[in-house]
Amino acid sequence: MTRLFPLLLLIGAALLAQDGSTKENWPEYGGQNSAWRYSALDQVDASNVAQLAAAWVFQTGDNNGGLQSTPLVIDGVMYVSTSHNRVFALDAVTGKRLWSYIYELPKTFTTFYGPWNRGVAVSEGRLLMGTLDNHVVALDSKTGRQLWKVNVEDANQCGCNITAAPLIAKGKVIVGVTGGDSAHRGYLNAFDLKTGRHLWRFWTIPGPGEKGHESWQGDSWKFGGGSTWMTGSFDASLGIVYWAVGNPAADFYGGNRKGDNLYTDSIVALDVETGKLKWHFQQVPHDVWDWDAAYEIVLVDLPRKVLINVSKGGYTYILDRTTGEFITAWPVAKNINWIKGVGKNGELLGRNEPVVGKPKLICPSIGGGRSWNHGAWSPKAGLFFTTGIEWCEEVTAQAETPSEGKTFFGGTFKLVPTPDKKSGGHLGAYEPLTGKAVWKYEYKYPLLASVLATAGNLIFTGDAEGDFFALDARSGKKLWSFNTGSGHRGSSISYSVNGRQYIATPSGWGSAVAGLMQQFWPETEQFPNGSAVFVFALPEQKR
Amino acid sequence: MKLALGVFFLPALLLSDQAGTSLGTSVVVARGDKLFAQGCAVGYCHGSAGAAARSPRLRGRTFEKDYLVKVIRDGIPNTAMPAWGDRLTDDDINALVAYVQSLATATADSLAPSETPSLAPPVAVKDSDVTPDVLQGRELFYDPQRLQRCSNCHRVQGIGTPVGPDLAKLTRAQLAAEAINALKYGRPRRVQGIVAKDGDRFPAVLIERGPVETRIYDLKATPPVQRNLPTSEIQSIQQQSGWRHSQAVQGYSTDELKSVWTFIRWVAERK
Repeated sequence: MTRLFPLLLLIGAALLAQDGSTKENWPEYGGQNSAWRYSALDQVDASNVAQLAAAWVFQTGDNNGGLQSTPLVIDGVMYVSTSHNRVFALDAVTGKRLWSYIYELPKTFTTFYGPWNRGVAVSEGRLLMGTLDNHVVALDSKTGRQLWKVNVEDANQCGCNITAAPLIAKGKVIVGVTGGDSAHRGYLNAFDLKTGRHLWRFWTIPGPGEKGHESWQGDSWKFGGGSTWMTGSFDASLGIVYWAVGNPAADFYGGNRKGDNLYTDSIVALDVETGKLKWHFQQVPHDVWDWDAAYEIVLVDLPRKVLINVSKGGYTYILDRTTGEFITAWPVAKNINWIKGVGKNGELLGRNEPVVGKPKLICPSIGGGRSWNHGAWSPKAGLFFTTGIEWCEEVTAQAETPSEGKTFFGGTFKLVPTPDKKSGGHLGAYEPLTGKAVWKYEYKYPLLASVLATAGNLIFTGDAEGDFFALDARSGKKLWSFNTGSGHRGSSISYSVNGRQYIATPSGWGSAVAGLMQQFWPETEQFPNGSAVFVFALPEQKR
Repeated sequence: MKLALGVFFLPALLLSDQAGTSLGTSVVVARGDKLFAQGCAVGYCHGSAGAAARSPRLRGRTFEKDYLVKVIRDGIPNTAMPAWGDRLTDDDINALVAYVQSLATATADSLAPSETPSLAPPVAVKDSDVTPDVLQGRELFYDPQRLQRCSNCHRVQGIGTPVGPDLAKLTRAQLAAEAINALKYGRPRRVQGIVAKDGDRFPAVLIERGPVETRIYDLKATPPVQRNLPTSEIQSIQQQSGWRHSQAVQGYSTDELKSVWTFIRWVAERK
């Protein structure tokens, strides 16, 4: 690979160019707005991690849907959100509750996209959260008092809501929306951090007269999905907000939306001030498999300014983040048959599409070659760490007519074994420009928790059976584990207070993909839900 | 009233033309199978033949008939289970119940995918007093493609934010002919001008003024923002805000406003 610099040069350049690592605080959903999920703290390292012990545990009391969020820590205070939009501010040393907030939900409404919340943002004394009924609320981060609240679109009309953490960029609260499996037209909104006033909207599906509108057949643009259901990233030096746009609707049937269906399954680069599109890269034109491009966008300098984005279809895309130019794409899963590969310009080779009324084997399954749980970039290792899943499905497409705000899938599926009968999950350490796996950690079920990388040469994540564990970033060797009593679907973090490093993880089994697993692994139906934050540190005398 | 948008154009999952009461059990179950494949097995819901997904497994479990009828008809509030009562006939629901009960003895081997015919196009619900003009006005009122739309500030039939008056309670006098003028040129008294101590000035609707906190809807941008301001940060509240209703409806043409008004009249007169 001629583009690959020698490792040391690469690391040195990355450190000089950009620092997306966290230190005492874990201030943003992805660590920093570059979404590295890498802590520069190294008090806990490969030599002493076996001594790691629980410091405190906080039970949230609401385990419906598990606990899927990323806690934030700012100046010794942890903020964690749970299902049903509850927020807790905790003393990050003791776990003592400082304040709590329970969002007032309507008396009756449906939570089609699940009751969970995946995180909040905190900036300038405000805590921001999207809600199950599609509002954005701002709280006073010192007291939990509600400061403002704005309804993005009536949830009873759109059938959509907000489960992702907002992104804060230049005094703006930028927030996405679900709705990709409903008859809904997706968008991204920016609100003023202080007042809640709306600043801009980017429609993920261009309207009449806009460039890209021609990629939709008839009125299909009004109901074409294109949700923005995870959190984007921000490069302050370029003034660009990056967001990944989800699948077109109906998911499995594209017969009434002929065309490329821009900007679904695309990475969009937007001017932070105006929300105007600077460039886009569409991973899957005319998606008929439910392959979102929804996941995290990791901003890394190699030293070329690139972004890393793992797609639900199982490929990791590396793009030039200044121009949107395709650099390379490599698979995170072995079992991929919906295409034969990705060409040198990013084009899909050999599409294998579902058909109406007849089951067809598609790999990976709708749960993804990876689920949304995030990967991590370690500048120290020069590696990207991400999970991957081996599983397949039989999809049967069906023609479907949209009805505003109602589900709009266009088909059914059931999970089936991979052709090699080796379904399961793994966590790999990958060279970003080649996709070469330096090591892989295998697991019998999908791994559905995010990855945390630290400067102590450690990789943390958790599994379905409740084990939270540390691997050596250099070898993948398991060095420590602790069973929290419920499976892992959230995102662990690291922080320090008064010189002591802590590792914190949500624990709590649940979610759509955890539900899907029951089709193939019936025993997982018995895996207990939970919702707690576990915090670990070295014993005082050991550090 | 449980009118929601879908009421007028239902996803005709519904096959509601012929009923199953006189049909044999296997026919009813087969019909339930079809309905299930179209509405319940899709995407992340209950999975093919109730095999489980985001929603619970139904295969291999026993449910009381009355419970199933209630859950299908009314949904389970605050969960992902929607109410289907406004979209399915009683016969449809009975067929679904029969099918779900038939899954109690299903095994993994019986999980062959259901026959999945194309869904029929939407059907209009028969509602004699809903004229095309009312329907058009209704679509404009809630139009999701506009950032500025009536439902940003009016909650009608359970949809929208209740910033402005309840349009279902308009009086005969208010429903008078010059209403279009009111939409275009009105200066509603409920909108006041707030001057904050930091110099910010903006039109607002007062919700509650307390000694410590003042709750308002801030109308400076669309959609309105419900804000809880420390009362001490407010310099003054002025009766005149300079805000005109025309600002809220500037995206609508006069003809469109006429349509909207037809819908509002229809709502008010049905009360």
